[in-house]
Amino acid sequence: MATTTTLRVNGKSVTATVDDPSTPLLYVLRNDAGLHGPRFGCGLGQCGSCTVHVNGAPVRSCMRPLSSIGARDEIVTLEGLGTSEKPHKLQAAFVEEQAVQCGYCINGMIMQAAALLKKNPKPSVPQIKAALQNNLCRCGTHMRIVRAVRRASEA
Amino acid sequence: MNALLPEALPRRDFLKGAGALMIGFSLAGALYPGAASALEIGPYGPPENQIDSWIAIGEDGHATLFTGCCELGTGSSTGLMQIMAEELDLPFDRVRLFGPDTDRTPDQFVSSGSRTISAHSRPIRQAAAEARAALVDLAAQRLAVPAEQLVTADGVVSARGNAAKHISYAELVGGREFNLTVTGKVKPKAPKDYKLVGQSQPRWDIPGKVFATFTYMQDVKVDGMLHGRVLRPPSHGASVMSIDENSVAHIPGLVKVVRVGDLVGIVCRREEQAIAAAQALKITWSDWAGLPDMKDLHATLRNLPEFSAGYPKQSPGGVLAKSGDVAAGLGKAAKTVKATYLSPYHHHGSIGPSCAVADVRADGVTLWCGTQTPYGMREAAAKFLGLPNEKVHLIYTEASGCYGQNGADDVSIDAIVLSRAVGKPVRVQWSRADENGWEAYKAARISECSGGLDADGKIIAWDARTFGLSGYSRPEYHEPKHGGEPGSLVTAQLAGWTKPGLEEGFSGAAGNFEPVYEDLPNKRVVFTYLGPASHRQGPLRIRVGSMRGVGSPDNIFVAECFMDELAAAAGEDAIAFRLKHSPRPRGVAVLKAAAEKAKWETRPSHSKPSDGDIALGRGVAMLGSNTDTNVAGIFEVAVNRKTGMVHVQRVTIAQDCGLVVNPNAVRNQIEGGVIQSISRALKEEVTFDRSRVTSLDWASYPILTFNEIPDAIDIVLVDRSDLPPMRVGEPASESVWPGVANAVYDAIGVRLRQLPLTPQRVLAGLAGGA
Repeated sequence: MATTTTLRVNGKSVTATVDDPSTPLLYVLRNDAGLHGPRFGCGLGQCGSCTVHVNGAPVRSCMRPLSSIGARDEIVTLEGLGTSEKPHKLQAAFVEEQAVQCGYCINGMIMQAAALLKKNPKPSVPQIKAALQNNLCRCGTHMRIVRAVRRASEA
Repeated sequence: MNALLPEALPRRDFLKGAGALMIGFSLAGALYPGAASALEIGPYGPPENQIDSWIAIGEDGHATLFTGCCELGTGSSTGLMQIMAEELDLPFDRVRLFGPDTDRTPDQFVSSGSRTISAHSRPIRQAAAEARAALVDLAAQRLAVPAEQLVTADGVVSARGNAAKHISYAELVGGREFNLTVTGKVKPKAPKDYKLVGQSQPRWDIPGKVFATFTYMQDVKVDGMLHGRVLRPPSHGASVMSIDENSVAHIPGLVKVVRVGDLVGIVCRREEQAIAAAQALKITWSDWAGLPDMKDLHATLRNLPEFSAGYPKQSPGGVLAKSGDVAAGLGKAAKTVKATYLSPYHHHGSIGPSCAVADVRADGVTLWCGTQTPYGMREAAAKFLGLPNEKVHLIYTEASGCYGQNGADDVSIDAIVLSRAVGKPVRVQWSRADENGWEAYKAARISECSGGLDADGKIIAWDARTFGLSGYSRPEYHEPKHGGEPGSLVTAQLAGWTKPGLEEGFSGAAGNFEPVYEDLPNKRVVFTYLGPASHRQGPLRIRVGSMRGVGSPDNIFVAECFMDELAAAAGEDAIAFRLKHSPRPRGVAVLKAAAEKAKWETRPSHSKPSDGDIALGRGVAMLGSNTDTNVAGIFEVAVNRKTGMVHVQRVTIAQDCGLVVNPNAVRNQIEGGVIQSISRALKEEVTFDRSRVTSLDWASYPILTFNEIPDAIDIVLVDRSDLPPMRVGEPASESVWPGVANAVYDAIGVRLRQLPLTPQRVLAGLAGGA
């Protein structure tokens, strides 16, 4: 039984019609909202590349059923965090530090770190590492990612 | 008529100020193919000897680089753009990148082996140098000034000492073709004149990746596209007995269940429908349990017969190096050392599983994929479909990080099969389990060494033998151009393609097994080649392929651990012992540079054991040759005697890779290679039962996390800008396994010869069970 849902994504309305209300949020964001920020990595909540914010909290969108999102919930993706004209300080810091190799995990790194900085604007290096502990990077960009988060926290 | 005169040059619509579509391009690239051009596009792209094949100057004065090299997430395309901009005397922000695309870009074979800058930049540099010379000649005519009196800067040719006399590249050729053959007679710039090459130019692709405007393969969407998923056999050798299509009849949006041989897929209108259908579809498979018990893996490898039906162009393994008389050397040794080293299979572990989009139509095929070998994959796709090469248009699209042969080519066959079945474009996204279960793994290895020391503690015998499988290669081809075989791909094998793929051969698997030391009398280095292996065929049915360095990481692990064992047996410092056996001059330089940076204390290994639960140690490893990159790595570890955990605290890498095109990008690659290899050294091991690989997610195949990374990675880039650029992506990573294992020995006095260096193995070693 198809149901139509309206979501608030990056301050805009997005409408999606799905058959199954347990459809993960990730597919609606990517295929209906046409966003590239949240990425499919494992579909198991293990890697973090699909991370978005729901009401400011980091959420693994590959595991989050659409039915659990209400009309008033505010979803923010990497696109909504900042743009090249108005970058979030983390986005600016990742460019400055060249803290990217393939970049596939970087959505999750920035979204997870943005949630950290909101709660703890001046984290220590161990606190940054702890916050990113469940986000996987295969290219081995970790040293730069930590540096970029530090730089953003000092900006 | 002089082809350089602007009026003689044909117009090309796509050169009208091509503008922003280049950077972060996606399907906008489709504007290029088919535009009017004098270039003849053959079955392997435009001719390599034409400037226009490589470079176009737009009406806006920007230069576009057409390359057949695939950007795999390393930043190599930024380096190629720097090299082109340098020779053209253009600022970086006025060069753009296009390709690979089989309708337009030259064939640059396969983007692998860290060769994009070291080898594939050469024709680009030459074409750009000749383009600049042509622009100067043109300007000489237009300005009526002798060419020798003209200079180029910022896309403008001007008369030396008379800046009023000038003309821009755009005015000279903007929007038109050069129509010139590359002669090889123009000399590119000397490194001392470089302004852009050698600078840490920020990578062009990073802003798009940070602001989510970049289009990865996984983001490609085309009109009318449907979503596919595949269902792999539950064991490597299983075949379909029956499919119950009623099991998915209730799935909304179902378009078709597709079966070709043992390749089964499902196509739906929406992605989540395809996922649900793939979960619901009931298939009865035959039983198969032909794998050895995992605990017997290395004994199985050791007992496999040597492969004899080698690919005709490559020797099927054998003696890689031989000097003197090994038996005699061992016989008169004052001291002998024997060791056996073991390593497991590894997953590539790209964070994004493989994805492709295919649009198979009666009049031709379009394939978007993240291959490393665009023309090889195009030819494989064409052969699979029974079409001429020209009927398949392959558009390379960067996917998640590529460290070798992941599933990018295999998933292309899946997409082609599903699109052909439904007559519409289909996107196939592999699941994490599809990737981990069916990719081509780094091969497991067993190696045996014997060595002897004379009374003065010098090596007088070195006998090393390794037993290795290789893969069916990517669908690349060999010179002269032929190949591009679908049989290299496990998906084509599943779909019933019976002609064997090109065997990768042992050359990649055997790399760097010969030690770097020139002073090793009585030496024998043997690679016993066990042949190619796939899930569906071969002597041990676990699929093997190229992963970062192919066989080199294993070979250097063995050679450099054994060197360390001999140093310890001689009671000598590991670096002093290495220097005593004459690494080549560039090897000496990196070894000394690393030792100085790391403040290496000269003493034999394990001569300074630490008290308490935490044992500290340091180890070294080196690699290289006269014509390749030389690396020395020093690794400082802390081993917890109670838990068995190893933490690599500090890493020092000294690297001589010749001319460094982009120092920060090189450092990024070294850091990445080091961290990935520490993960492989300490944690990673593909697991399997009697019928299949079982490490199908990140819980069963953990990799290094933020809490486990080193505190510091110090990098010394030895300045050898007098030498050509050499390989960057792989070499430093290859120093890690032996360097870490040697450091663990220094810390706890136990030789761990089996990877990964897990807490269980450390504890067993401490208990005397290693």
